[in-house]
Amino acid sequence: MNAERLMLVGGIGSFLLTLYWVRNRDLREKYAVGWTALAILLLLLGLFPEAIMWFAGSAHLSYAAAVLFVALGLIYIFSFVLTVSLTRQYRNQVRLTQDVSILEERIRRLEQQLHERT
Amino acid sequence: MSPPFKTLLVLPAYNEQEALPKTIASLQQLPAGFEILIVNDGSKDRTRAVAEALAQTSLVPCFVLTLPINSGIGVAVQTGYRFAAARNEYRYVIQFDADGQHPAGALPELVACCERGSFDLCVGSRFLGPPNGGFQSTPVRRLGIRFFCWWIRLLSGVRVTDPTSGLRCAGPNAWKRFAEFYPEDYPEPESLFWCARNGLRIVETPVAMLERQGGVSSIRANRAVYYAVKVALAILFDRLRRSESLS
Repeated sequence: MNAERLMLVGGIGSFLLTLYWVRNRDLREKYAVGWTALAILLLLLGLFPEAIMWFAGSAHLSYAAAVLFVALGLIYIFSFVLTVSLTRQYRNQVRLTQDVSILEERIRRLEQQLHERT
Repeated sequence: MSPPFKTLLVLPAYNEQEALPKTIASLQQLPAGFEILIVNDGSKDRTRAVAEALAQTSLVPCFVLTLPINSGIGVAVQTGYRFAAARNEYRYVIQFDADGQHPAGALPELVACCERGSFDLCVGSRFLGPPNGGFQSTPVRRLGIRFFCWWIRLLSGVRVTDPTSGLRCAGPNAWKRFAEFYPEDYPEPESLFWCARNGLRIVETPVAMLERQGGVSSIRANRAVYYAVKVALAILFDRLRRSESLS
């Protein structure tokens, strides 16, 4: 399989995966937008391989190490944003968990008081 | 005569069904003004049922909170501080292990120590008493404790002897802040450092610790290195933050 076909298959694969996870509500539409855009980009590059050659030439990324550097940089940024987002989500989850337990205890106490009055 | 102020005792408990009855029994002689809060941290055993039964029969007012999922020691303790903030009727909040390692007899002295010197945080130290006074942890852990003493002193100038001690009495300046921000895992050295760098008044008092009565430690042997590195880095990061207003 050559690189063009690999990009075509990758594009179709990521498109289907995105659809599958959004349908199952495992992936929020907010994130699906980015992944769908990436899938479309891969599909387009698979269909029009000369576009990537043109881009590589104009950006002086025609040697492998430079391409690898850009790819790693993108992965780094994506992972970083992801862990920041996870940290925020975790903090929210902790706050909600704590509030649930405090409210549950309060309800139990009020129910007990009500029960004692009646 | 009612006491001049109330003190909340926070007991984080994860799978402590065996140790909890003995621990709560040891707290029954506490003077008026103390209240107990057991925070069941999503235990998989019968801790919740045991805690609720104990709360019904306790002579000291006892509350039980249950976190729906296991969230770690820091979150469990912070839930106690948040509970205190929500009720708004306590002057001091004391962290106390549910596993029976902390002696109940030391509690009035912790509060008295804060009161006498207007301290914001009083930590029960196992290293200030006589050399063989109580359980002093394993040699590897003692090495880690010494490292944290050195690290905290280097970065804050404050000298402590037992920064990992989970027996600590916090005054309003400390616990109201802990209710908002508290480290999630292995919280003791980091929260102590926060107090030190923000100019809160810290003191230690000698306490003879006991061996745990049941359950397992939250710091397993294979996690010790991660624990040391994580906490050391967290303290370093905290040093880089601005001082926080205590108003």
